[in-house]
Amino acid sequence: MSSVTDPAPPVTSGGQPLAERTSATPKQLHEWLRQMLLIREFEVRTMQAYQDKKIGGFCHIYIGQEAVAVGCIAAVQHADPVVTAYRDHGHALARGMDPKYCMAEMFGRIGGCAKGKGGSMHMFDKPNNFFGGHGIVGAQTPLGTGLAFAKKYQDEVIDGGVNKHVTLCFLGDGALNQGGFYEAMNLASLFDIPVIFVVENNGYSMGTSIERGTSMSHRIIAKGEGCGLTGYEIDGMDVVNVYEEMKKVADIARAESRPAMVDLRTYRFKGHSMSDPRKYRTRDEEQHWETGDPITRLRDAMIEGGLIDEDGFKALNKDQKIAVREAITWAENSPEPDPSELHTDVYVEKFGPYTGTSQPQIVTDAEESR
Amino acid sequence: MSITLTMPRLSDTMEQGTIIRWNIKEGQEVLSGTIVADIETDKATMEMQAYDDGIVAKILVGEGMQVPVGTPIAMIAEEGEDPQSIASPDGGGEKSAEAMTAAPEPASIEMPIPPVATSDTTAQVAPETTSGGRRKISPVARRLAEEHAIDVSALSGSGPGGRIVKRDVLAAVETAGANVAGAAGDVLPVQMPTVPNVSSQTLVSTTTPMVHHVPALESTEVPVSGMRQTIARRLVESKSTIPHYQVKMRFSMDTLMELRKSLNEKLAAEGVKLSVNDFIVRACALSMAEHPMFNASWAGDRILIHGRVNVGVAISLPEERGGGLVVASIRDANLKSLRMISAESKHLATKARDKGLATEEMSDSTFTISNLGMFGVDDFTAIINPPNSAILACGAALEQPVVRDHQLAVGWEMSATLSLDHRVIDGAMAAKYLGTLKAMIEEPMRLLA
Amino acid sequence: MSERIIEFRDALREAMTQEMHRDPRVFLLGEEVAQYDGAYKVSRGMLEEFGPRRVIDTPISESGFAGMAIGAAMLGLRPIVEFMSWSFSLVAADPILNNAPKMLYMSGGQFGCPIVIRGNDGAGGQLGSTHSWCVEGMFSNVPGLKMAIPAFPDDAKGMLATAIRDDDPVFFLESERLLAMKGHVPEGDHYVPFGQAVVRRPGTDVTLVSFGRPVHFCLDAAEELAKEGISCEVIDGRTIRPLDIDTIVQSVRKTNGCVVVDQSWSFGSPGSEVAAQVHAHCFDDLDNHVMRVHSADVPSPYAANLEQEFLPNARRIAEAVRSALYVA
Repeated sequence: MSSVTDPAPPVTSGGQPLAERTSATPKQLHEWLRQMLLIREFEVRTMQAYQDKKIGGFCHIYIGQEAVAVGCIAAVQHADPVVTAYRDHGHALARGMDPKYCMAEMFGRIGGCAKGKGGSMHMFDKPNNFFGGHGIVGAQTPLGTGLAFAKKYQDEVIDGGVNKHVTLCFLGDGALNQGGFYEAMNLASLFDIPVIFVVENNGYSMGTSIERGTSMSHRIIAKGEGCGLTGYEIDGMDVVNVYEEMKKVADIARAESRPAMVDLRTYRFKGHSMSDPRKYRTRDEEQHWETGDPITRLRDAMIEGGLIDEDGFKALNKDQKIAVREAITWAENSPEPDPSELHTDVYVEKFGPYTGTSQPQIVTDAEESR
Repeated sequence: MSITLTMPRLSDTMEQGTIIRWNIKEGQEVLSGTIVADIETDKATMEMQAYDDGIVAKILVGEGMQVPVGTPIAMIAEEGEDPQSIASPDGGGEKSAEAMTAAPEPASIEMPIPPVATSDTTAQVAPETTSGGRRKISPVARRLAEEHAIDVSALSGSGPGGRIVKRDVLAAVETAGANVAGAAGDVLPVQMPTVPNVSSQTLVSTTTPMVHHVPALESTEVPVSGMRQTIARRLVESKSTIPHYQVKMRFSMDTLMELRKSLNEKLAAEGVKLSVNDFIVRACALSMAEHPMFNASWAGDRILIHGRVNVGVAISLPEERGGGLVVASIRDANLKSLRMISAESKHLATKARDKGLATEEMSDSTFTISNLGMFGVDDFTAIINPPNSAILACGAALEQPVVRDHQLAVGWEMSATLSLDHRVIDGAMAAKYLGTLKAMIEEPMRLLA
Repeated sequence: MSERIIEFRDALREAMTQEMHRDPRVFLLGEEVAQYDGAYKVSRGMLEEFGPRRVIDTPISESGFAGMAIGAAMLGLRPIVEFMSWSFSLVAADPILNNAPKMLYMSGGQFGCPIVIRGNDGAGGQLGSTHSWCVEGMFSNVPGLKMAIPAFPDDAKGMLATAIRDDDPVFFLESERLLAMKGHVPEGDHYVPFGQAVVRRPGTDVTLVSFGRPVHFCLDAAEELAKEGISCEVIDGRTIRPLDIDTIVQSVRKTNGCVVVDQSWSFGSPGSEVAAQVHAHCFDDLDNHVMRVHSADVPSPYAANLEQEFLPNARRIAEAVRSALYVA
């Protein structure tokens, strides 16, 4: 088994023509490529904006891991809840959040998905069933179990039918060491809750390599197996592979109403956060993983399969650059939250300083489009 | 064994004492019974005597210093002891400065505060009147005191550290309330510059309420007019800044009353009706030639003696005009005849009561007369009308039993009380002025000249 | 007033069953709530009545099942989480403090968290330090949650029913020492609005403010003080968040005195909050600073006599009242 810090060849899946290894339509493949390009460009501009001091606080970049969010989310239905940790821009965009809401949130503007109250680590998108964006490592794992529990409860107890939903609960390999995660897995298993714990195993919890911080790092799915969860190890650098494998995992979880744990091997090309000098790993290791860039892999496979050409790719990429530029302009033009917003959204019911809520743009737009 | 003299407790309420004067010196021999020092207590200056024989070894507290009762103030060497070898009780020499305080100026010595009756034993703590220079008082006690116009500086606090608390104020309100109830029926005409010294002690206070005879009184607020505010401001200023004192003399009015009667009969056809006050105005005015200090003003670093004699006459205003009082000024009264003074007085009084006086008719008085004789008052004191340095308060001319030529007889008498600014006029001067006045009043023919 | 007399614990159960019948989104989960009938028999019979899908035994896993319930609440369910003791909530601090009360705000109003977390709170049973937590001091510090703490059986029902129907996270603090207390409890729908304190005993000399079990200590102290001619007005705050400061202020304006009795530790507590607010609202009505009676500033002891002394008992309350009135 390959170790992350003892670089294995990044390409462990694929090789055959696309048509032979996926049922995805050309339209789907185009969409995944578009999403990954959007996330990549979005994150590049996010780094730039952060360095221009337009974004504050902690900011975690998703570059390198695009295939995970895009492939996993493509493998489930829109009604299936998704929840993740603080490296959440990619998931929000893959879930369908308009990049302008995402960017405005980081800019601390009223147009942000949470009206500027959440920030980079706390993206929420109710119309897209995206439940955050959680800042504390592992905190989202019991929530993920709860979201899946609620869907099952609605399907079975309230509606009197059978479970129709799965929940994707993303976590980093750093969260493997949090107690809450084990409680979440234990409860999910005990109560037959269809939640899929997707470990985005990028090899590092901040600056600590997985070998230094996690027992059984060569086979982390053993931790889920200890709770009775079926474990899967998946190459996370190939979006087609992610999609195909995750679809199977999701279908089983949905059908059997059972939780699962997935070890998705990936790599973050940038630091843990914007203030990470990456002294804990070598440039060689980074270059090794960069040769397996998920965008390049899909592009090359699609060109090989005749699904796109160089010009088409450039045009698609340009469109994403335009979309991100527009998002930045929109965010810059979005006003700062009115000072009165400080006191809204504290309680659903009024008392004390609570003066009600104002709907974020994201919800207003979703309601209008109905 | 040396003997320590400590600050003696020389009154029942004494907490601290000030050494006014040492009558002994270091090295001097003292005998039991020797008056070693004069000590000022909270009530008086007392003598402190020695109880032992010996030599004064050390004086620990200097003259003018105030220390708590019990503080060592001197050391006495007993027979056979070397005074030089005696150390002060705390091992040091002179008492350190922080242990004692310079005695306050006499004017700022706090009056002993009568303790408010209380069932609380902790209230026996000596009232600490200030905390960092500020009176300790609970918030609601302060508010209640303001609402009931209770002067908290006169209260003793029963709370911790002498804090004035709610019950202290409520007790004071109750006490004050009893007095107000007694005073309610006692209506005095507002008459500047009468001293409102008809204080609670003189008012009827009965434990048996007689409410069934009296129409119910209503608590209410009355807005304060501009005039009332002026009166309040000026009289507070006068009474609190001028060192007032009073000198009183009784005048025999027999001759004056007879002369007045005679003149009024003769001049009735001319519309002349002289009042007793007209004579007094004239007498006061004429006396100024001999006593210029009574026609003067204190000016801080100088005394201004006025060249003109303008006699102010207090005039009470009718209730329907809002009450209050004004002082009309009879200018150059020393140059005016009785008839002129009478006419001008009547004119000013009528105008004051009907329409009000012009500013110039009220300004520039140099001496003031307040007369409550027409109300039957026989004796009162007045507050000086600044910037005057004296005011004369006249009672009624009444028939009294008098002693004339060693015989008891009936005669007309009037009481006249001068209130004086001690910065300008001393007691003897006041006595002489009243003597001059008495001569004029009792030989009124001089006023006709 | 209902003539029916039931126990505090039955009143709690009635609120839960009533709301579970009314709303299928409501369910109960916690340790031993189902087959065991509840560690304190609050949920006795509920498993039979609603089945295992809605009355759910959890393993001893507070962080896990509290977090799970919060996730379910984000999706619109209305979980009732029973902590056997609020002392056990500390291992679930992150979900109950970092998620439940902040979700609405962090999501810009998109996701609320209509959850009720209830359980025993406070010392009194010789349980020692780890099991005698009074969490109101710590947790009331957090905006976004509500905190209810009933002292009487009718409030136990009315306030829990209100808590379940409330759209915000409600921390519901019960006392093991009160569960067997009997009282008149209305049958059928009974809701006690949050943020409305109630005067349990009218008086004129001093206002006693308390929450939960210590309200009874206050009533005992008031009875004792009445013999000395001191008339105490006892206010049962009922909810700490929202705090009904108006009722308290109204009373203090009348009595000019205030003693706050709170079973949590004094430092940064509901008691200190009430004191601060009373000082701010009616400073000029106070004859003394607001006095506070708390649990002693030490870990909860085990020995019975020490624990009695530790609690804000009637004797300590009476001492504070005398001191407030300058008669101590």
